[in-house]
Amino acid sequence: MKYFINSFIAISLLFTSCQKEKITIGTGVSESFYVVNNGASMRVLVEGNTSSSEFILCVHGGPGTSAYFYNTDYIKHNLGDKYALVFWDERNAGASQGNSNGKNLTLIQMTDDLKKVIQVLKYRYGQSSEIFLLGYSFGGLLTSSFMTTDDNQIMVDGWIFADGSQNYPLNDSLTRQMLLTYGQQQIALNKNQAKWKEIVSWCNLHTGNFSFDESSQLEDYAEAAETYFDEVTKVDYLKLFGSDAIKDNWPLTSILVNYLYSSAAEINKDIAKVEFSSLLYKVSVPVLILFGQYDFVCPKGLGDDLFNKISTTDKKIVISPISGHDIMLQDEVLFCNEINEFVRIHRLIPI
Amino acid sequence: MIFRKISGGLSLFFFTITCFSQTENMVRRDTVSSDLQTSYNSSLIYPGIRVGIEFPVYFVCVKKNFDSEVPKIISKGRFISMNAGWYHQTNFHDNLYFTAEWTMRRTKENGFFTEFSSGFGCSRTFLGATTYETDNTGGVDIIKSAGYKYAMIIVGGGLGYDFSKKKEIPLSIFYKFEMTGMFPYNSTLYFRPAMELGIIYKPINFIPFLIKTRVKTK
Repeated sequence: MKYFINSFIAISLLFTSCQKEKITIGTGVSESFYVVNNGASMRVLVEGNTSSSEFILCVHGGPGTSAYFYNTDYIKHNLGDKYALVFWDERNAGASQGNSNGKNLTLIQMTDDLKKVIQVLKYRYGQSSEIFLLGYSFGGLLTSSFMTTDDNQIMVDGWIFADGSQNYPLNDSLTRQMLLTYGQQQIALNKNQAKWKEIVSWCNLHTGNFSFDESSQLEDYAEAAETYFDEVTKVDYLKLFGSDAIKDNWPLTSILVNYLYSSAAEINKDIAKVEFSSLLYKVSVPVLILFGQYDFVCPKGLGDDLFNKISTTDKKIVISPISGHDIMLQDEVLFCNEINEFVRIHRLIPI
Repeated sequence: MIFRKISGGLSLFFFTITCFSQTENMVRRDTVSSDLQTSYNSSLIYPGIRVGIEFPVYFVCVKKNFDSEVPKIISKGRFISMNAGWYHQTNFHDNLYFTAEWTMRRTKENGFFTEFSSGFGCSRTFLGATTYETDNTGGVDIIKSAGYKYAMIIVGGGLGYDFSKKKEIPLSIFYKFEMTGMFPYNSTLYFRPAMELGIIYKPINFIPFLIKTRVKTK
């Protein structure tokens, strides 16, 4: 009995030792923590230079993908050397865990999650830490929701919007228009005729007020379309992520089951009609907008809409001529250079 | 046409075997000790261990003569095992779990065996890093021993070698591929494939059971 009790105490100590608070201020940092909110424990990975007190908080796409995919060696070496990179796995995504919490997978809940992640970041690394939000794809919608809700934007020092969407109905219209325009050009140039003819004829039949199924079809065509252009950088995702998966301890099956669940969840239908264009006038913090010239999934017209509607005069839009929907992977040089410059200009804490 | 001829021939062969083979059944009762089991299991690079006790339920001993001088003997054992396990996945979670499993093991005369097991259980995870909770006023607290309770299912199959068959060493070694499922995990099913390498120790008189052994002679 005594042996059993001792073993139990030893095992308990072993588990809780993994949860001991570890906060590192320095360079080359790599540490994780979890934020619990309404049925979800969301993993947050902090990498890079925490002594800078500048934190670039990556808000990933999906819903249901993972922040792990942003953590490439190039980004680590070219942004993480100067600033701290924060990779947050949203609820029901990546390494985030929970029980029966599907009903909480809503945009409003995720907006609240983001607020709490920032609160914990400031608690850990100091209230004077500067936060720069980086929203990609669906993360664009989520950060738009965050920035236009209450006085949330006072928590951040800048907003980076990369291949994102703040308005899904507008997104669908722009995608359709872009597919039609490029499709007709490519057919005239005799390039990938069969594929483009199918896309163009579908777009001619579906003109607007898209149903959820139509939006999904548009997205499928948009994802395929950028691969038909030689100008777009081709990324070998398997090679890129293959080595990272082992090195960075990716929980592969968790990433997979969370993706499968979230990509089919009700939230996708809910957000199909959501727009924040009408609320963007509230945004007064500096904004950097990055888009790929060949991004059919979130066309650069969304960047123009954002640029024109935010109140701030401190704003910049940059278009990458060689990228589609994954600017951080397809044009990593431009991506890192622009973010470096943006944070350098807007940092409040002198070097 | 050829397929019809072959299938016709095979049907006749099995019919003949069924009708003319003689099967003798004998049931005896033996006192059999329970086994102790321990193993290392790993999912890619993440380590884990498992310990358990397997209780014998019944055995079937099949003796196949087939007119040969040395009859073939195959032992089919059925066990219920109670296990406790743990694995660690860096920055993700540690998992402490308990399972009850039904194991079917088929051992040849030479000691080689194959087995299949399935079961259910429960688990408690411990998140792999400090866990925080915030309140509505922006206050932040650390949650101690943060994690979740899950129901578990487990299936696995593998092979091994029983040293007690040829020499009097009360040990077996085995290799198994296992799939563990935990639910409800974010409203869905989390699964973890793992490879398991372990040993089974067969003490002489450890929690003995009087069980049936059916001896079949074909």
